[in-house]
This record gives sequence, C-alpha cells and structure tokens, in this order.
Amino acid sequence: MGMEQAWLIPALPAAAFVVITLVGKYLPRKGDWVAIGAIAASFVLFFFVLADLLDVVDEPGFTGGEKSWEWVSFGDFEIRLGFFTDQITIVMLAVVSFVALMVQIYSVGYMRGDPRYGWYFAVMSLFVAAMLTLVLADNLLLLYAAWEGVGFCSFLLIGFWWEKRAAAEAAKKAFITTRIGDVGLLIGILMLWREAGTFDISEIFEFAEAGGYGATYLTVAVLFLFAGAVGKSGQFPLHVWLPDAMEGPTPVSALIHAATMVVAGVYLVARMLPLFELADPIALNVVTGLGLTTVLISATMGLAATDIKRVIAYSTLNSLGLMMVALGSHSVTAAMLYLFVHAFFKALLFLGAGSVIHATEKQELDELGGLASRMPLTTVTFAVGTLAMIGIVPLAGFWAKDEILHFTEVGQNAGVYGLMLLSVFITSLFMTRLFIRTFLFKSRDPESRKHAHDAEPAMTVPLLILAVLAAISGFVVFSGVGEAMGFPGGFGEFVFLEHAEEFEFNWDIVVLSTVLGAGGMMVGYVFWANDAVPATRMGELFRPVYNVLYNRFYIDHVYQFVIDRVVLTGSSIVSWFDRNIVNDTGVDGSAALALLAGWQLKFTSTGKLPNYALAISSGVIILALVFLIVKA
Amino acid sequence: MSPEEGIFYVVAGITVIGALGVVLARNVVHSALFLILSLLAVAGVFVLLAAEFLAIVQVLVYGGAVTILVLFAMMLTRVRDMPRALNGPQWPLAAVAAGMIGGISIVAVLDTEWPGETDEATVVSIEEIGNLLFTNWAIPFEIASLVLIVALLGAIILARGEEGE
Amino acid sequence: MIPIDNFLVLSSILFAIGMYGVLARRSALLILMSVELMLQAVSINFVAFAVYLSPEVFTGLVFAIFVIVIAAAEVGLALAIVLRLYRNRQTANVDEADALKW
Repeated sequence: MGMEQAWLIPALPAAAFVVITLVGKYLPRKGDWVAIGAIAASFVLFFFVLADLLDVVDEPGFTGGEKSWEWVSFGDFEIRLGFFTDQITIVMLAVVSFVALMVQIYSVGYMRGDPRYGWYFAVMSLFVAAMLTLVLADNLLLLYAAWEGVGFCSFLLIGFWWEKRAAAEAAKKAFITTRIGDVGLLIGILMLWREAGTFDISEIFEFAEAGGYGATYLTVAVLFLFAGAVGKSGQFPLHVWLPDAMEGPTPVSALIHAATMVVAGVYLVARMLPLFELADPIALNVVTGLGLTTVLISATMGLAATDIKRVIAYSTLNSLGLMMVALGSHSVTAAMLYLFVHAFFKALLFLGAGSVIHATEKQELDELGGLASRMPLTTVTFAVGTLAMIGIVPLAGFWAKDEILHFTEVGQNAGVYGLMLLSVFITSLFMTRLFIRTFLFKSRDPESRKHAHDAEPAMTVPLLILAVLAAISGFVVFSGVGEAMGFPGGFGEFVFLEHAEEFEFNWDIVVLSTVLGAGGMMVGYVFWANDAVPATRMGELFRPVYNVLYNRFYIDHVYQFVIDRVVLTGSSIVSWFDRNIVNDTGVDGSAALALLAGWQLKFTSTGKLPNYALAISSGVIILALVFLIVKA
Repeated sequence: MSPEEGIFYVVAGITVIGALGVVLARNVVHSALFLILSLLAVAGVFVLLAAEFLAIVQVLVYGGAVTILVLFAMMLTRVRDMPRALNGPQWPLAAVAAGMIGGISIVAVLDTEWPGETDEATVVSIEEIGNLLFTNWAIPFEIASLVLIVALLGAIILARGEEGE
Repeated sequence: MIPIDNFLVLSSILFAIGMYGVLARRSALLILMSVELMLQAVSINFVAFAVYLSPEVFTGLVFAIFVIVIAAAEVGLALAIVLRLYRNRQTANVDEADALKW
C-alpha cells in the first residue's frame, strides 16, 4: 500500500455512494455506517500514502508520486487519467478525509429522523469522493471533472431541504454563481492545453518553464484559472453565494462550505502557483487584490449579520481571503498551513453552531444568548474555535495567521500589510460579537433556552476532537514537532514551493497581531456586553454605514438588478429566437419539409409492376452508359 | 457472303420477326404462336453454332412444353375474353428504354475486338456433353433437378388453391 | 465462318425486343413470353462465346442447358402464380395488382 494505491482513497466513498443509493433502503440504519466506514477506511489509507511519501520525499529530484492510465486516445491525441501525490496533496488529503469523517459522525446525530437520511449520507459520500479526486488529480481535465462534481454535490446539499423555498433558491444561486467562475476555469484549462498539448499538470509546468507560453498568454490563462478559484472559494465579487449556502444542513456547511470545497480554489491556485509565478506579476497582484477585498468586506459584513451561521460564513470568506493574500504573496506554505488549521477550527465553529441550532431551533442572534450554562461543552469548544479564528496565542489560528502576516509584510507593500492588520482587528471584533451574543449574558428568548442542552455523544465527540486539534494543530510549524511525527521538519520544511522555510518567530508581528486581536475582543466585549447598548447606539449613530453593511454592500442588489434588466432581457430575446427561429422554423420547418417531400414522393410508389421494371431498366441503362463512357 | 452467312441472315430474320410478333401482336394467342416461331428459329441459330444437342433440347422444351404451358394458362385465365388494351400506358417509354439497351449493347459489341476467333466451329458431340454434365457439372446438375422438383411442387400447390376453394 | 459479331448483335436485338415486351405489356402472360425472349438472347450469347472463344471447354454450352432448365421451372411456377392472381382478382394484368402502393 502506498502512493500507487492512492486512487483507492476517493474510490471507497464513491463505492459507498453507489451502495447507499442502490440498496441503502434495505440496509440497517439506511446505510449511514457504509458511508462512515468508507470515509474511515479512506482516512486510514491516507496514513499508508503518507508513510510512503515520507519515505521518498527526501530523495533529490522528488516531485510527487504518480500513477496514471490511458483515458481517451484518438490517434496521436491522448488524455491520461491519473493520480498524483505530493506534499500539498497530502495536506489536502488529511484535511478532507479527517474533517469528512468527523462531520459524518456528527451527522448521525444531527440528521437523525430526517426523511432523506440515507440520501444525505449518499450525497456526502459522493461529495467526499469528488473532493478527494480533485485533490489527487494529476491532470487538469480530471481536476475539472471533479471540480464540477463537488459543485454538483454542493448544489444537492445546499438544497437538501428543497421544500424550503430559501434553500432551493440558495442552491440555485450557489450553482449559478460558481458556474460563472467554472467557465473561466474551463477556458483557462483549454488555453493551457492548446499550447502545451497536454492536460498533465507537471508536463504543463515543464512546458511553461521552457518558455512555451508567451508572457501575456500565460497571464490571461492563469487569470482565467483564478476565475474558477474566485467562484469556488467565494472571493469578491463572486462571494455572494456562500452566505446563502447556509440554508443547507449545518454539517454540510461545516464540511463543504468551510473545510473542504471552498478551499478547492485555494488548492487550485496553490497547485498552479508555479504558473502564476511565471506569468506577469499582474496575475498575483490580482490574487492579492481580490483576496484582500474579500477579507475586508467579509469582516465588515460579519459585523452586521444577524444569523449565527451567516456570521460564520463571513468568517469563512474572511479566512479564504487571507489564504488568497498568502498565495498572492508567493507563499504556498502560509496558505496551506492556514488551510490546514482553518479546516479544524471552522468545522468546529460550524458544528458548534449546529449544536446550538439543534438545541434551540433558533439561529438568529437576536433570539439567542445565555446558553453557556445550559450547554457548557458546546460553549467551551466554540470558545476554542473563536479564539483560534481570532488568532490568540497559542491556538492554531495564531501561528497560521502570523505566517500570512509575515509573508504579507515581506512580499507586499505597506498598504496591504496595514489593511491586513486592520482585518485582524475587525475579525476579532465580529467573532467576539458572535460568541457573546450566542453564549453569554441574558437570553433574548428564554423559552428556547429552557430546553436547550448539550447534544448526544455522536455530536459532542467530534466537537471535542476538533477543539483539541484547533488548539494544538498550529504547533506543526515547529521543526521539533514535525520531526517527532516523522516529518522532515516543521510545516514550512515539508510543504513549500521552491525552498524549505524554517519557522521564525517574528516578535513585531506577534505583538501587533496579539494586541489587535485582544483589542478587538475588548472593544467587542464593551460593545455587545449585556444588552449591547453601545453597539446599538453606534449602529444608530452611523445608520448609513450600518445599512450598507447589513445589506452586504448592496452587491446582491446590484446583481439582482443586472439579472432582472440585462440578463432577463437578453434571455427573452434568445428565447424568442429559440421559439420562432430555431424551433418553429428550424426544427418544425425541416420536419414539415421532410413530411411534404415524403407525401409527394410516396406517389412514385404506384404498386404497378411495369413502373418498377422501368425504373430498374433505367438504372441499368444509366450504368451501361456510364460504363461505356468511362471505357471510351 | 458465304452460304452460311446467308442461312444465318434468314434464320436471324425469322427470329427477330417472331420476337417482334410476340411483343406487338394485338391478339394474345397470336403472340404465343409468334413465340413458337421465334423459339424454333433460335434452335436454328444453335444449329449454326454447331450445338445440335442444344437445338434439340430447345425444340423439345421450349417449342413443346413451355409454349403449351403458356397456351394452357391463356385458356384457364381467358385473357382473350378481355377486350382491353394489351399495352400499358408507359409503352413509349418502354420503347425508348429498349431501344437504348439494344443500341448500347450493339455499340459495345461492335466496339470490342473479340479475341481467339476460330475459323471452324467445333462440333460438340452429345456424348461429350453427357460426360461433362455428370462429371464437372454434377453438383449444379443435381441442384438444377432439385430446383425443378421444388418448382413443380410449388406450381402444384399454388395452382391447386386453398382448401374448399 | 460467320463472324461472332453477327450472333451478338442478334442477341442484342432479341434482348431489346424482349425488354420492350416486359416493360410495355400489361398481361402477365405476355410479360412471361417476353422474358423467354430475353432468356433466349442470353442463351445465344452463351453458346456463341463458348464456341468462338473457348472451344475446348463447353462451359457456355452447359450454361445454356441450365438456362433452359431454369426457364422451364420459372415458367411453370410463374404460370401457377398467374392462375392464382386470376382467381383472386379476376385479371391477369400486372398493373391491376397494385395493392402494395402508398
């Protein structure tokens, strides 16, 4: 077992999907154990692959383990399908398989009694399979297929409770919005293929390094690739679908819209970063710019959002923006480290929120509060997640965030660095608000508080495990910790693009970020303590600002306006064209022509033998004449 | 013109006249009689080609059996009683088509250099044909007899009609 | 010796006349007779070629014999069919048996 068998990792959940879909009805417990067993097996397999990788990773010239098969072949044109394992892949595999396992276990409790319980586990398995394929794909075509696969599963799961209109709308919105980015991704992939003649990622790298692409061509191509990442990872301006996606079941939000699928965009950019480096600097500046915009708008929108899950969704956007900024600052290490720890604390936050919703059946912050005494376990774990997100020492988020800040300081100008520091403060502010408004002080809806309590073990155990990881997973940055676990060193010495980066403790950044984070928490506490009087007064004082934030910068309104006016007008023209020209004239017209011709021609079939004999004779005569002429 | 050629033209003329009679006569029975004439003339052509056996068979089978069969059929179907046109409406087209076929093949024949022409036709004895039929051509010969049997049975079944008719 | 062209031209004429009969006549009996004429044309061709082009083997001759055999079988069968047609539709004209049209 090793990297050669890496394909089994996605194959197992895919098999679970097939089994549950086909025979799930007849299995005990509707087959949830099949799904959990499959993902658990994948998680175990991951360790074999990891061990295999660690054996060879130190060898000079190692670029990754690969196993591929012929997929399509016409003449000289061949597409291979294969799986590729390297350090970036390993990090993603760890995150996806582990978080998926935790979420699946949690779902057993959360989804109990749902009428489509079995279908839920089937689609979750399919999603995991697609996501793992995306991560392992060694060529862009397979990656694109898996990319669409996760998008499709996301659609199914956001709209899982499709009886609810908002859920159906949100699913549609997510699908269409990400699709805009996906078209860009496809164009980018095809552009890369057109010049290089291959979809294989490493071959494309070799081709690009040899100067095969023109500088402008490559820049345009990677920007199209980035468009896919913008859609999937909810970067501005395609971020609008992610908050709405919270209509899906909460474990889905935890798995797909926090820990795995939304980081696919980050993964894509990280994987293709060598191309971005070769392209014009504009490409990475665009990555940085959009990432930074996303960080700032999401943090400020998070201040005004009232739905507990939406606030966490904004924090996810915030984190994704941070990762993009890290990539824009040429640092795969920082981005992947943040991705790694983010998966744990964000899944933790979502699952904690799920427990709150499960217990109170409320998710508006105005109807929550004071749950700390009723749900101590949830409160403690949620607090760990919140602090990790804010980046308080020594929790996981601290190390990752400081890495990003470090690379921003080194790789970007002072303005970007300053805005990043500002975002640390705002993030801290709105995360504090979220925690205080949910768990502390008086409940604003005592009825629902009364029957609230910590959930069953199937739900709390994943919370505890994730809380522990959210607390300690940041320590992987230290060489000693990494070496103790058998890695060549700390995270930076394992996952890197060009050369290993040993972790350094930058006191100035540590102090700055801690001060800002703690300051945000204190300000937040002052603002939202008790009845949140200062916050309400601030909101009234700056009413226009509050309205802008509450209405999410009116971005959705602008989109709606554009859709109503431009898209629907255009589509009505297209629909008229389709109905009248294509359908009535083209389709029906050609059918009518065939009918008319058939009607006219049928009279040649007289049933009279002499006519037929004459026709045969004419044929013979014509052939004979032709033969005579050809011979002469 | 050698005597042989003279005889050929006479025989060929009779053949063509008989054939024209078959297709042009206004009376069906006359057509049948013209057919006999033509078939007998063809037997003469076979004689000119030194194929006596074939000529004999021609007279026996065609001149005898086939024409008699046709006449019987005429009697049974009483075609004579039907005073309708014997030619279909497409007869001018038929004439054109036939003319073209005939023209094309005559042109083709005259256009071709035929190899290996002999001065003297080899007379093939009946004995040789018999030998040949039962040695080299034994299998086609047997198949031909099978075809005859099947045709015979088929004709009986068809002509007898269904039960109770 | 008579040139082979003579026989072949005779055969062509005979064939054309037979074809005219097949195409122009209405009565199934007349059509059958015309078919016989066409078969005669073919037979003449066979024999002429056999005698002139390959006198040592008599393939053409044997073929002509087979043509006669098959023609006999065909006439017997065809006349039976004509009888059936006549009994069913009171006619022996092929253009009146046109049930198989549009």
